[in-house]
Amino acid sequence: MADMTLTERDQRETSAPSTSATELGPVGARGSRRSQLRIGTHAFLLLLMAGFLAPVAWALVSSFKPANDIIRAPLSFDPSTFTLDNYVAMFHDVPIAHGFLNTAIVLIAKGAITMFFAPLAAYAFAKYEFVGKNIIFGAVLITLMLPTIVLIIPLLLEMKTFGWVNTYQALILPGAVDAFAIFWMRQVISAVPDELLDAARVDGCSEFGIFWRVIVPVIRPGLAGLAVLTIMNIYNDFVWPVVIASSEQMATLQVVLSTLAQNITGNRIGADYATVTGELLAASSVALIPLLVLFIVLQRHFINGILAGSVKG
Amino acid sequence: MTALPATHSAARQRRRRPGSALIRRRLAPYLFVLPFLAIFFAFSVYPLVFTARLSFTNWRGTGAAEWVGWDNYTYLLSNPGFWGSLGNSAVLWLLIVPIQLVLGVIVAVLLNSATLRLRGMYRVAFIVPFVTPLVAVAQIWIVLFDQQYGAVNAVLGGLGLPDVGWLTTSEWSKPTLALLFLWKTTGFIVIILLSGLQSIDNSLYEAADLDGASRVRQIWSITVPLLRRTIMFAVVLQTLAVFQMFAEPFVVTQGGPYNSTTTAGYYLYNHITRADLGTGAANSFLLVILVMALSLLFVRTLRAKD
Repeated sequence: MADMTLTERDQRETSAPSTSATELGPVGARGSRRSQLRIGTHAFLLLLMAGFLAPVAWALVSSFKPANDIIRAPLSFDPSTFTLDNYVAMFHDVPIAHGFLNTAIVLIAKGAITMFFAPLAAYAFAKYEFVGKNIIFGAVLITLMLPTIVLIIPLLLEMKTFGWVNTYQALILPGAVDAFAIFWMRQVISAVPDELLDAARVDGCSEFGIFWRVIVPVIRPGLAGLAVLTIMNIYNDFVWPVVIASSEQMATLQVVLSTLAQNITGNRIGADYATVTGELLAASSVALIPLLVLFIVLQRHFINGILAGSVKG
Repeated sequence: MTALPATHSAARQRRRRPGSALIRRRLAPYLFVLPFLAIFFAFSVYPLVFTARLSFTNWRGTGAAEWVGWDNYTYLLSNPGFWGSLGNSAVLWLLIVPIQLVLGVIVAVLLNSATLRLRGMYRVAFIVPFVTPLVAVAQIWIVLFDQQYGAVNAVLGGLGLPDVGWLTTSEWSKPTLALLFLWKTTGFIVIILLSGLQSIDNSLYEAADLDGASRVRQIWSITVPLLRRTIMFAVVLQTLAVFQMFAEPFVVTQGGPYNSTTTAGYYLYNHITRADLGTGAANSFLLVILVMALSLLFVRTLRAKD
């Protein structure tokens, strides 16, 4: 930060008197100032980047250190002491594989429902007239603004009435066709020209056929963005799962992880703390990696997805 | 607007298969929205109406509910715990939103330069925290900021500074949570601001260049005013997020020490764990009203300046 402000001030002070001189063309002076600015920019961004990556990098590296070293020398890493002990202990003590399995089941079922029914409903909102359309869409917009925690109490009671506490249905169905997905996909589909749909109709295409053979192929980039965003949200979802499915059998990956943190804060005893910390870092690393890989591979879609609903709103 | 092409094509269709195609076209949208509507009503609309009713009862999850009128609301509004939770959230807001916006604008402006090398790399690095699972990151925070064994205090020790009880003292618990939130979401704000920047016409900067305006001057006089909509949008989003903040204190501090990180969202959760459902429902509505009022306030200040 210091670098940046220095360079900027430098730039401002020198550029004011030289304004008139610029017209005469002191190209060299201007060029060197530019390169100073560029160095300052990179110094600032690199520093910030280091700060952004440090916690994750530290956790990944530390998870391969002997548990005692993590707390005794948190800042050093001696490659000769590289060990998988934390991972071995973690997989033995923590039902993380089961957590992954539950997350995967929810991800596939809930993701499929969202990816099919949200664009389908959005298609109706974008391209058809029907009774109640505006009222329903208004309600969708309102729920977009509501804090999710508002719905937690009544949803919990509803799940109890259905006998769905600690079941997959409870993890999958609420929020499966999310209001945001409808809102976003409606905007994407509205941009598809009506002529395309009419041409398909003339060719004898059914209404669903138009959606499936015309709309879906055309909006594929939007769908890709929705897919990554949906994966991210379901994978990281924590509040609803911890309320509705905290049993050992049903706990998703994030719920399994959160119980580890409670062990550590609830139980601060010397040697044990090291073991728990080692296992915790190993578990966090295992949970981080799938999403990090997905993000690096599909970063463009991620960024589109993150951006989509936000600015257009 | 769509009426013209619609009737046109309907006429064409009638020529092919009179009647039935038109009927199917009329019916189709109902079928398409049906699955969504079923889920929407069952798991959004119905619970919302239910919360509204619940907030006027003293129901504790079992037995009969007794209608108590506005009691839950007056109880909360006269309860220091409720105001304390709002105060905690307000302090977190102050620790997060201004810093995030300044940092976000600086980074977005720098990344928006077409000549900047390694833009892609920086952008990816800044978004990494946003895509990582909060629970995993929150746990890393607990370990990093541990008073006795944490890496952060080890760094401070190396610089000859005293240990700080990041998560164990009520002075530092809020800044530590705020740092987690800042770290996690600043990349998201940068992305939003970047997209706003891309809609600013480049010729404005070229004209300013000709007038000899410095880069800093250009940012202050062109970028910031034209970015105001986007900035306000970011403020509204983050206000919603900060006042609803729940998972961070839940995992990292359990609302402590001494309730210093009992945010508005966490306080609401406390009613649920005590099965005090009526009060919880009333609390939800008060929170919604507050958040919506704040959003409206921001939107109005934006309009006023336009």
